[in-house]
Amino acid sequence: MLAYTLTRLVYLALVLAVMSVLVFLVTQAMPGDVASMIAGQFASKEVVDAIAVKLGLDQPLIVQYGHWAAGILRGDLGRSLVLEQPIAPILLEALGRSLVLAVVALAVVAVVGIGLGVLAAVRRGKLTDQLVSGVSYLGIAVPDFFWAIVLVLVFGSYLKLLPTGGYAPITDGFLPWASHLVLPVVTLVLMLLARIARLTRSSMIDVLQTNYVKFARAKGMPESVVILRHALKNALLPTITVLAIDFGLILGGVVVIETIFSYPGMGRLLLFAIQRHDLPLIQATILIVSAAYCLANLTADLLYAFVNPKIRHGMRAS
Amino acid sequence: MMTAPQARPAVSPVVASASAPKPAPLLDVRGLTISYGNARGTLRAASDVGFAIRPGEVMGLVGESGSGKSTIAMAILDLLGGGGRVDSGEILFDGTDLRKLPASERRALRGDRIAAVFQDPFTSLNPALTVGRQIAEPLIQHKGLSPRQAAVRVEDLLAEVGIRDPRRVAAAYPHELSGGMQQRALIATALGCEPKLLILDEPTTALDVTVEARIIELLAKLCDSHKLSALFVSHNLGIVNRICQTVTVLYGGVVVETGATGRVLSRPAHPYAKGLVAALPRITADRRHRLPSIPGTVAKLSGSPAACVFAPRCPFAEETCRSRPQAMLTDGDGDGVRCWKADALAGTPWPDEEATGLRRPRTGETAETRSAPLVEVDHLRKIYGASRSILPWLRRAGTVAVEDVSFTIGRGEVVGVVGESGSGKSTIGRALLALTEPSAGTVLFDGADLTQQVKRGDQTLRRRAQLVFQNSAASLNPRKTVGAAMDRPLVLAGRADAEERRKTIAGLLTRVGLPAAYADRFPHELSGGERQRVNIARALATDPDFVVCDEAVSALDVSVQANILNLLAELRDEMGLSYLFITHDIAVVSHIADRVLVVYGGTICEEGPIGRVLRPPYHPYTEALLSAVPRLAGDGPEAPRILLEDAATAPGGRGCAFAARCPRKLGAVCDEQAPPVHETADGHRIACHIPLATLAERAAVFPELADADALPR
Ligand code: SF4
Ligand code: SF4
Repeated sequence: MLAYTLTRLVYLALVLAVMSVLVFLVTQAMPGDVASMIAGQFASKEVVDAIAVKLGLDQPLIVQYGHWAAGILRGDLGRSLVLEQPIAPILLEALGRSLVLAVVALAVVAVVGIGLGVLAAVRRGKLTDQLVSGVSYLGIAVPDFFWAIVLVLVFGSYLKLLPTGGYAPITDGFLPWASHLVLPVVTLVLMLLARIARLTRSSMIDVLQTNYVKFARAKGMPESVVILRHALKNALLPTITVLAIDFGLILGGVVVIETIFSYPGMGRLLLFAIQRHDLPLIQATILIVSAAYCLANLTADLLYAFVNPKIRHGMRAS
Repeated sequence: MMTAPQARPAVSPVVASASAPKPAPLLDVRGLTISYGNARGTLRAASDVGFAIRPGEVMGLVGESGSGKSTIAMAILDLLGGGGRVDSGEILFDGTDLRKLPASERRALRGDRIAAVFQDPFTSLNPALTVGRQIAEPLIQHKGLSPRQAAVRVEDLLAEVGIRDPRRVAAAYPHELSGGMQQRALIATALGCEPKLLILDEPTTALDVTVEARIIELLAKLCDSHKLSALFVSHNLGIVNRICQTVTVLYGGVVVETGATGRVLSRPAHPYAKGLVAALPRITADRRHRLPSIPGTVAKLSGSPAACVFAPRCPFAEETCRSRPQAMLTDGDGDGVRCWKADALAGTPWPDEEATGLRRPRTGETAETRSAPLVEVDHLRKIYGASRSILPWLRRAGTVAVEDVSFTIGRGEVVGVVGESGSGKSTIGRALLALTEPSAGTVLFDGADLTQQVKRGDQTLRRRAQLVFQNSAASLNPRKTVGAAMDRPLVLAGRADAEERRKTIAGLLTRVGLPAAYADRFPHELSGGERQRVNIARALATDPDFVVCDEAVSALDVSVQANILNLLAELRDEMGLSYLFITHDIAVVSHIADRVLVVYGGTICEEGPIGRVLRPPYHPYTEALLSAVPRLAGDGPEAPRILLEDAATAPGGRGCAFAARCPRKLGAVCDEQAPPVHETADGHRIACHIPLATLAERAAVFPELADADALPR
């Protein structure tokens, strides 16, 4: 397990290094240049050049990249040009809000989705199963922004029960904080639930047909033990992977949902940075989003290995 | 009297006839009728099945696939599932009709009073739980033990089933154990609550022969010491002969014969039982004759039988047989047979195959001296999973699957490869078809390097070499009809005329014992045996010179297996086909092969003409393999069995691959030095440190074969 984790971390570092180069190059290729943007529309060429020198923009790309990368390694993400602040605290704040969204949404998805999946599998072919399947199809077929809009209209504008957007820090009290979370979380849950439920259902159906489940029944185990101890543990393997990947996705920002609910997470931050041509902010945000995504994947694999003794032991052996 | 057809009595005949003072049966099944229903209708899996098992008795329930034997076992356990339904009948356990009990009470009996062991140990244990926990579960559930008390009992149980370090095994996950160990763990689970009845559903079918021999020994010992009764479901008559006191033969969901094992297997009364016994490949049989086989396939019933179920395949069938269902005719000893002609047929054996069945006499010359060999394997080596990496902890030496193997296959020659799982036998076959690239060494097909040709994209040679393998379901596309699946290779081979292709397909299907109309069926509509026949037909579609048969008949029923073996032999004789015949079953290989390689741990232990390999001198592994071959009651005395230890470690290293399990191991020399190869003039090679003369001193496992000149070549 340790060797495996080490290997994966090495790969992670490599991927991030490659990502950093890509991010750097892509942002360089974006239209407009930073110096003239800072200097303003009417600045003279001398002023622009001076700013460029000050920012090190006159140096070869490789040197610029070196400076940037070295800064990141020291934990210095640079300064936002538009906000004129260090980037790290801004990013951290947005990341924290995305984290809240991801944790709450996925907790709900995991509990409800796995529950529904198991229920449908156990009652395979019966009405419960057909209901779950039908609703799942609906969930998959309808795009996420549709739900978002419906929810905003119904609960926000029509019933006026919940705030339709924004964010309240928890320091404002639990209720305002929670009420701002409800709609984005529900939208995310609607978006992700169907896939988890269907995935759990199908792997559960497979597992329920295995010999070890039959053998557990032959041992006289009550059905609840058969399902929860013998079947579910094995059936959850694929679900765990997908959940972890979803986690990375939300952490990296769900632009559409964050925009509709004006939720100030990573997605909105990235959107803001791109709209305002804030190159250092774009670079830092994308890098952090990739890192979050890679880490979520890594967690998925480690979790998978941890739940699956076959893999866990294979790793110990190697 | 057993001469005239009788009206079918409603109660189980065995019980009705049990007039002699015998103990009351522990399990008494009467009139059990089970059907499977789905959208397309219902199928009868068991019709009016009755049998009884007395305390301390092991009863074999034998039959081929589709006979309903497993269904009956599952019905007793109340685990039918999948649309299965008991329509009528009684399942009396200790006098109580299980069918009248509520589901919760039946569950409480399961694992406690009635325990089960299933076929496949590899999948019967939950991969996510430790073995100890799984053995402890019924103890905690039924006996109310605390987990700690259970853990102590688990170690005792594991020790009882012959596991040497119970503590380690209890803490292990299933995948860390060998198949034999897993099956022992399952048996330990079943024994835990000291049940009265064991349901053993093909408990050794998935195991290697040498492991099977040990598990059977263990089961027999346990049944004896615990005074257990058991229902032993099996297709393997030899195994049934070893462990069962009585046997019930099923055909098409109907009991056709029941009685004491020795009597039924040595003097079967029902024609189907006669056929089964005759079709079993025997090492001692005259190989010039075709194996007797049962024509046709098992018909599926949708209602109660209106005629003798075996009539469509019975060589003795008459009009009377087809006009009314057969009654069970019983005598006072509990022997019963469901055939009105049984008495008249008492001395009549199953008919031999038709006169043309005498195979072309094969002399050494035809196969060996004719021109160059078709396949030449030279110092073949295959290592799986080796990897180089810059990360030191990722570097891996890999597992050696095949270690320096050399042999040839002549034109028209059948070379058998016998070995157990992990012996590298399948890898050898795959390397010969360029399905896997050798790590070292060469494989020449008709003088050309097949691997290189295939790498260049040249498929001509590959068309001349085909594969038939065991998993018949996986090798057919479920969405294509049989005809479409067989059409493709024909089209690829340039057969343009569709009508002619259709005829060829029909011919091939008929040839492998299927109706030509099967061309329009989908694989899921066929039985496992039928699918395998389709695979063989498909492999033959391109007129190959060489076919690798990888356990091609292992999953088939005995009667079908005989049919396929005969077919393969015929094709070899008529078309000059060569085979590499890979199998774990030395009896099967002795029927078809001219020469045999016995492989263990990726090396060849012994090689030679089949007649030589079956007689001393034996390689110690070959000797153990031969002694593990089960024999039927009528076939003469069983040889003393050489029981091998379970393999503790995978073979490998510098010494003899067999050293870890060899009962005749000499000592350190076997661990440290590769054994020398003793070779005799007739091409018999044995790799062992024991001198040839010493090896030759051992008694023959099959004394009937001792006379070398009488041995058909
Ligand atoms: S009743 Fe007739 S068809 Fe049936 S087994 Fe006896 S002889 Fe054959
Ligand atoms: S070399 Fe040694 S270990 Fe190998 S088979 Fe011969 S006696 Fe046994």
